[in-house]
Amino acid sequence: MEILDKLTILADSAKYDASCSSSGSKRKNNTTGIGNGNFAGICHSWGADGRCISLLKILFSNSCIYDCKYCINRSSNSIKRATFTPQEVADLTINFYKRNYIEGLFLSSAVIRSPNYTMEMLIKTVLILRNEYNFNGYIHCKTIPGSDQSLIDKLGKLVDRMSINIELPSNNSLKLLAPQKEKANILQPMSYVSNNIKLNKLDKNKFKPNFVPAGQTTQLIIGATPESDLKILKLSEGLYNKLNLKRVYYSAYISVNNDKNLPMLSSPPLLRENRLYQADWLIRFYGFKANELLDETHPNFNNILDPKCEWALRNIENFPIEINTADYFTLLRVPGIGVISAKKIIRARRTFLLDFQELKKLGIVMKRAKYFITCKGKYYDKVYKFNQSFIETNLIYQERLSIPNKNFEQLSLFDNLSPTKEDTIKCLTGSL
Amino acid sequence: MSNWKLINTTFIYDGTFDGFLTIVFDVYSNKTLPKQICSKDLYIPNFLDKTLYINTNYEKSKRVFVGIEKNICYEALYNSYNAFLSNEKDKDINILKYLCEGFELGPKINNMLTNSYVYKVISMRKRVLFECHRLKGLLRFVEVQDNLFYASIHPDNNIIEPLGHHFINRLPNQYFIIHDKYRNLCFLYNGQTYEIIDSTNMNIPQFTESEKLYQNLWKAFFKTIAIKERKNPKCQMQYMPKKYWKDLIEMKY
Repeated sequence: MEILDKLTILADSAKYDASCSSSGSKRKNNTTGIGNGNFAGICHSWGADGRCISLLKILFSNSCIYDCKYCINRSSNSIKRATFTPQEVADLTINFYKRNYIEGLFLSSAVIRSPNYTMEMLIKTVLILRNEYNFNGYIHCKTIPGSDQSLIDKLGKLVDRMSINIELPSNNSLKLLAPQKEKANILQPMSYVSNNIKLNKLDKNKFKPNFVPAGQTTQLIIGATPESDLKILKLSEGLYNKLNLKRVYYSAYISVNNDKNLPMLSSPPLLRENRLYQADWLIRFYGFKANELLDETHPNFNNILDPKCEWALRNIENFPIEINTADYFTLLRVPGIGVISAKKIIRARRTFLLDFQELKKLGIVMKRAKYFITCKGKYYDKVYKFNQSFIETNLIYQERLSIPNKNFEQLSLFDNLSPTKEDTIKCLTGSL
Repeated sequence: MSNWKLINTTFIYDGTFDGFLTIVFDVYSNKTLPKQICSKDLYIPNFLDKTLYINTNYEKSKRVFVGIEKNICYEALYNSYNAFLSNEKDKDINILKYLCEGFELGPKINNMLTNSYVYKVISMRKRVLFECHRLKGLLRFVEVQDNLFYASIHPDNNIIEPLGHHFINRLPNQYFIIHDKYRNLCFLYNGQTYEIIDSTNMNIPQFTESEKLYQNLWKAFFKTIAIKERKNPKCQMQYMPKKYWKDLIEMKY
């Protein structure tokens, strides 16, 4: 098989993995080597779906022994199968890297023969890159569930990031759709890696090999199973707090297989995915808790308003907030003010008292924020009322303008006058 | 700075950062603000303007360079150097005011974001570094000879130097040429030293055999990695504006 065909098949199988970040690693280059890590990450291109391409995202192989129902590579699917050799993957990575197409390698794999065998092949590939080519760029590798701990140790010392995809957010769903996998099998290596990262950070030895410096990630599929947003968000909050994950990716379910246990969706639930990402950011950078954003009475996010707006409207008694005196975390709770804006406000108010005009000058977006703040004790001019229903109506009105509504149609005088069968026959025979 | 004398003269300089710092030195020691500062390449002679050509003086510029870090702060030097790479027309006068005010107020100047020229300098710095970061990803090397790589770029701002340094750190053993086609500048690196030269009469070399293979592989990868069901050209265009497409192998039209 030609390398071009292999690349097409194995990139096609890998594309459903959402993770593609190259951030978090400061790996340095040496004089004879090639590549270095960029702490902020660099995106090199954007695909037709608008997702960034920063890593060469491929599977090592797509001939899987498992038969998970949601997965395109399940063993009972009749798709083209291919397997790389470690040398091929390494050559491809180096040549793409030299031309600045990519930031590094994201190597995942279906399980070939056994988890341990698959893991050994991944390690072999990474070893060629790190030792033979002296490659110091970013490498993200999948941990294969069920492989030995010694193999995880070995791989962890070579790569920058590791991940295991949980995919299905509850045990029941896992039993239903991926009967050969077990929750413990996934969580156990995950906590093993996170413990090792912690121990490695405590180690004060300057010359120690870094263990997974860019941390661990995972992915959850949204919309394949009936879990509510609250349940998913609680799960990711737990993962962040207990296992110190760097990221949880959410991937809107795309119907690739037909199965009686799977929902048939005409299009992937992209808005729901977006809301979960927004909430995820609120948890990681804004100091929110999953319980605050959603509760049993509201287990799912709103279609029109974003999670922060929704929270602010439900807790309207905390507002309005005085821009010139509020502390950082209170500022962050204002809809429309993010991390960058909050830092700018705190910096600028050291020298001047801020008014709405100055806020605009600083580049702070007032679209949502104006309803929730006061400057020097005054409320925004054009908004004359501070009450919940007024703000809610206005916010919804604003959002509706930006969401294209595909449901309306141009009215026509002749809508009801579609020709009947008899009319058509009359037309055809020429009597009309 | 509020009681300084304003004079109706346009200062002309050679367009280098050293030339600009010489102006800062002269302005600060004479306490007179010019109406406009312009690089000699961009200046269009005007019947009404009084002009004064300021010769670059490396001693003065070095004193200012050291003085900024010592008397204001490192951040001010960082802001002014990067804002200087911007392509905006009034960048010089804004940076000048920012630095002069900075010499009087000290590091506090960076907090005065509501001050129009401070905000301007900081936003110019941001725009320059953002474009630089973007091109760190969007630049595409083409192999023209064994271990010699060539890349053409069309950036809005003059970011060839910071961009070149990024690639020296990243690919220290690779010979490369980065060609800024708007400004006709070339960043040459030969494995040890680098040089920025004018490239008005440069022949663009042809690429090698193996290059074609990797370009095709990359195009195939680019095409397959997108999920059809999630097609979103607007989002793609937002991150990867059309102005950069002519240098991208996967998007070339």
